[in-house]
Amino acid sequence: MTSARSNVLEIESLSVRYETPDGAVQAVADISLEIAAGECIGVVGESGAGKSQAFLAVMGLLAPNAQVAGDARLRGRELLGADPRALRDLRGAELAMIFQDPMTSLAPHIVVGDQIAEVLVVHKNMSWREARAQALQLLEQAQVTDAARRLTQYPHELSGGMRQRVMIAIALACDPVMLIADEPTTALDVSVQAQILSLLKRLMRERGMALALITHDLGVVAGLADQVAVLYAGRIVESGSVRKLLKNPSHPYTAALLRSMPRIDAPVDEPLVAIGGQPPSPRQPIAGCPFHPRCAAAPSRCTTERPELRRIDGAQVACHFPRSNSASAITL
Amino acid sequence: MLRYALQRISGVIPTLFVIITASFFIIRLAPGGPFDEEQTLPPEIKANLEAAYGLDQPLLVQYGRYMRGLLVGDFGPSFKFKDFSVTELIAQGLPISLTIGLAAVLLAMLVGIPLGALAALRRNTASDYGIMGFAVLGIALPGFVIGPLFALIFGLYLGVLPVAGYESGQPQYLVLPIVTLALPVIAYIARLTRGSLLEVLRSNFVRTARAKGLSPMRVLFRHALRPALLPVVSYLGPATAFVVTGSLVVESVFGLPGTGRYLVQGAINRDYTLVMGMIVVYGAITLLCNLIADLLYGWLDPRVRYE
Repeated sequence: MTSARSNVLEIESLSVRYETPDGAVQAVADISLEIAAGECIGVVGESGAGKSQAFLAVMGLLAPNAQVAGDARLRGRELLGADPRALRDLRGAELAMIFQDPMTSLAPHIVVGDQIAEVLVVHKNMSWREARAQALQLLEQAQVTDAARRLTQYPHELSGGMRQRVMIAIALACDPVMLIADEPTTALDVSVQAQILSLLKRLMRERGMALALITHDLGVVAGLADQVAVLYAGRIVESGSVRKLLKNPSHPYTAALLRSMPRIDAPVDEPLVAIGGQPPSPRQPIAGCPFHPRCAAAPSRCTTERPELRRIDGAQVACHFPRSNSASAITL
Repeated sequence: MLRYALQRISGVIPTLFVIITASFFIIRLAPGGPFDEEQTLPPEIKANLEAAYGLDQPLLVQYGRYMRGLLVGDFGPSFKFKDFSVTELIAQGLPISLTIGLAAVLLAMLVGIPLGALAALRRNTASDYGIMGFAVLGIALPGFVIGPLFALIFGLYLGVLPVAGYESGQPQYLVLPIVTLALPVIAYIARLTRGSLLEVLRSNFVRTARAKGLSPMRVLFRHALRPALLPVVSYLGPATAFVVTGSLVVESVFGLPGTGRYLVQGAINRDYTLVMGMIVVYGAITLLCNLIADLLYGWLDPRVRYE
């Protein structure tokens, strides 16, 4: 992380909270992230860790009762609390997002070509004619087979992988500088997953686009991301380069996540190591470190004092007792 | 789409045939007959009457004769309206019932859908509660309360519309019946639209539409509204058939010579041919309305076209 890099997206102290009749729900707590042009950041965590919530907040797509605090700047322009009209001009043009479930994310009653063309008509003032011609090219770039015929097909006539490619074509229509991909492959077959990921990788490289890849699959992160941020209970517990995190995780949670991944080179009869317990409910915040009830080594300090993010070995870690390969790194 | 349409259309004739046949025999199961009155007729006169109308024949023969008549548009003579054929009765009354019925359905759509959409968009605000409160009233208040109330307010107190009656070529006589007939339909449509639109607005594809940076109006009209209208269309099919064949209550309250009373009167009088005539008309219109609803369904949701 050099100071010369130009950040496309800067998230600072982002929090998302809901007031519900059953009490407050803190979905995201004080997250800060930077994403540079041409860079891919993997955002990892269990379900409910706040990954999607954080980026839906950046997109301005949260439910109206969400209370968002903090800052999110796209190339220096503040997104949070911005004029809705100005935000709409950015959304779908400079800032795009694809979602987890391609089966339900496309409008069932509009042909695929028009769903792509619509973005160009709205943002680039193209005529429908021009926009449809452009949509064909976009489908081809998204490696949709038989693209010309697909233009006039409805989403239900396409497979899940094809639909996700259409979503990608929609997202990339206006050459965004930042793409948010929220579990883009979770709903797809493994073989299709690999195709979609390599497509995202190629498009990212070609266009110098920044990519935020939200996933719970560390394998996906390893293949695509430059940086990783691990979220737990709405907070970043560790972030840094993908190499560092996957090789030498400092936070016990990151380490536990890595251990719980099935490995192809492990003996077949070796049991998977699951992380015991449940992530804390966002309705009942835990005192101290949110991970301490599930942490193998949690001294009493962890139950009372929440660790702040601090820089260790070129990564940021929120742990009182970070793991380290060099014994001297344990500082108390 | 064409294949889907042809498939739907080809089902209409056999269905109508089944409806007519079943009704023909079921009516005859009811005790009594058209010539049973409080004063019992001398047996020989009754026998003559029955012979004149063909009621002395075996039921199957009567059925055959009735079906042959239907093929050439002859619904037979009415047993109670002595000088009229059923064809004449329906031909006189149906245009009136159809006119106010279609106008009421049209009005209900034009008012109900926007009201429901507004309530959904302004969810949990005063306008939402206002519209839904009105909808509950519209559904709960029967026509024999609303109708006279309207006649009282607009006919007597304000004096802007006739209280009741009918003269052809004078549309002001139709305004109050149309509104009375439309009110519960408006209420249903508003409720259905609101509920279904709220669901669609939470759907993933609407989130995609917003992520594309589309304006709220575009999201609503191009992406959300069409799928949200599916339940409204399935309600409107049978509802339209019910409304356009005439309402006994509304036509009685406003003294309109429509067909609304014929089904009930005919059934009470055992006026077999009149009841059958109304069933044929009602059945045909119901099937037609459902056919239109099916085709609209296919347009609203392309997935329906494939089975």
